[in-house]
Amino acid sequence: MKDKIMSLEEAVGLIKDGDLIGIGGLSFWRKAAATTREIIHQKKKDLGVLSFVGGFCEDQLIGAGCANRVRTSFIGMELFGLAPNHRRAVESGQIKVYEETEATIALGLKAIYLKVPFLPLRGILETDILKVRKDLKEFNDPLTGDKLVACPPIQVDVAIIHVPYADEKGNGNIQGPVWLDDDLSKTAKKTILTCEKIVETEDIIHLQGKGQIPMQSVDAIVKVPYGAHPTSCYPFYTFDANAIMKYIESCQTPEGYKQYEEEFINLPGQGEYLEKIGGIKEILKILL
Amino acid sequence: MAKYTTDELMTVLMAREVKNGDVMIVGVGTPIVWAAFTLAKVTHAPDAFFHFLMGNTFVWEARQVSLLWLELGAASRCHRLHNTGECTLELLPHKRLTTIEFFRPAQVDQFGNTNNTVIGDWNRPKVRLPGGAGIPDFSGFYATGQFLYVTRHDNRTFVPTEKLFFRSGVGFVDGKKPLIEYGLIGVGPKCIITDLAYLDFDPKQRRMRIKTVHPGVKVEDIQKNTGFELLKAPDLKETAPPTEKELQLLREKVDPLGIRKLEVLAGKERQELLEEVIRKEYSLINRIPPRL
Repeated sequence: MKDKIMSLEEAVGLIKDGDLIGIGGLSFWRKAAATTREIIHQKKKDLGVLSFVGGFCEDQLIGAGCANRVRTSFIGMELFGLAPNHRRAVESGQIKVYEETEATIALGLKAIYLKVPFLPLRGILETDILKVRKDLKEFNDPLTGDKLVACPPIQVDVAIIHVPYADEKGNGNIQGPVWLDDDLSKTAKKTILTCEKIVETEDIIHLQGKGQIPMQSVDAIVKVPYGAHPTSCYPFYTFDANAIMKYIESCQTPEGYKQYEEEFINLPGQGEYLEKIGGIKEILKILL
Repeated sequence: MAKYTTDELMTVLMAREVKNGDVMIVGVGTPIVWAAFTLAKVTHAPDAFFHFLMGNTFVWEARQVSLLWLELGAASRCHRLHNTGECTLELLPHKRLTTIEFFRPAQVDQFGNTNNTVIGDWNRPKVRLPGGAGIPDFSGFYATGQFLYVTRHDNRTFVPTEKLFFRSGVGFVDGKKPLIEYGLIGVGPKCIITDLAYLDFDPKQRRMRIKTVHPGVKVEDIQKNTGFELLKAPDLKETAPPTEKELQLLREKVDPLGIRKLEVLAGKERQELLEEVIRKEYSLINRIPPRL
């Protein structure tokens, strides 16, 4: 069996400039934050960023200049505010927006594994989404004549997903919400899976939900404890509210983002990062 | 009559919209909605249950509202876990379920069309907002109506159709035809709860109207803060204020930290509350939100 366990540096090497990357999780919940920092380290360029609901990681990639297009149904920091770098980049026209909805992403991914050119959606009719997404087409159903929308497939090049548990074959187990992460890994050309713990397949068998991320879709497994910080990873820790507020405050200007990058991203590794955010004292605060 | 604040009045009014047996859909970053649904569950709707987007789960039991520890209720106490595609496309639009979900629009017009996408031109917006999420998918399709709330009723939010920058949620479109003629199978917007009034829609003209006026508010004030002409319901009256019991449950059991107020406050006051909530929740030894 091919050894899929590797370093984060090697794993992120699978991403090529220009790729469409799919990021799992939701706003600041179980996002692949360590992988995102490594992408910024490696100075990847012209990436497309797709996420069902974007937030912390998507905003960093935009701030760092790694991304030139974004596809999300929502991107923000919930009660903490708007995603600052995303907002600035869209308002200044530096980034291309594909206006998505929950269903256009869900069906776009599903169309990949069903190998069909589109899936019909009874939704988004009479919204302005159709005005800004010319590739979504209204049509009349040949059977009933009903008005529907054709949603084209979304081909992700590399999915980056953080999970609590994975085995060495690449089976990933998610204990809390899955969101679209299973579909994302199943349909992406490659998947980089970071995890809190590497366990045996025997353990995956007994974990609730079992291997929602199937081994055949995973190319790289990297063990990164607290790899989602400052976002959450159930059942281990919740999001770090103070770190997220600090990030938003820092990113009010492009210079502020650069300073944040210098301080929190431009570091040799996860150990240095965890020390920088305040070490064990801060980690104890977020443990579930 | 008991004294109460705007957030308490709004929470109670939203709770009263829940019918026993409803699936109460709790989105992300909407503690006022979560508090309202929880209040409904512990008062008149014991058989209603939660769908948490935060968790993609169905949860039967009610627990105290939390900012930081919500997964300990939404994920660990669920009786069903599903992925987003499944709940968006299969579970929630199910014919046998009646759902209730409250959206908070950045802009809304006289026909109940909403915008959560941009302020200004979409191509080069003045303010890029987070986006419509599932609202474009669902808004035209609710069998039991679309529920809206606005915490600050003003004419920046309530705008005539020509000033709605982007239609991310469908109301009654242009009000000219029944929704079915646009290919939409839902019943349209049902109500909008604001800090000034309870608004609904005239069934014939499909236009927004004042249904009840909150105590102490004048009809002129509501009109002055609305960017289009509001109709008035024939039986227009004063909003029934919260009862002592509703207030006590909300303050002492449902949301004692006042997390819902984060949706109502602004500026320094809001930031101070946010920091206080975070400090209090981090200091908890037992982080599991109490069962109600």
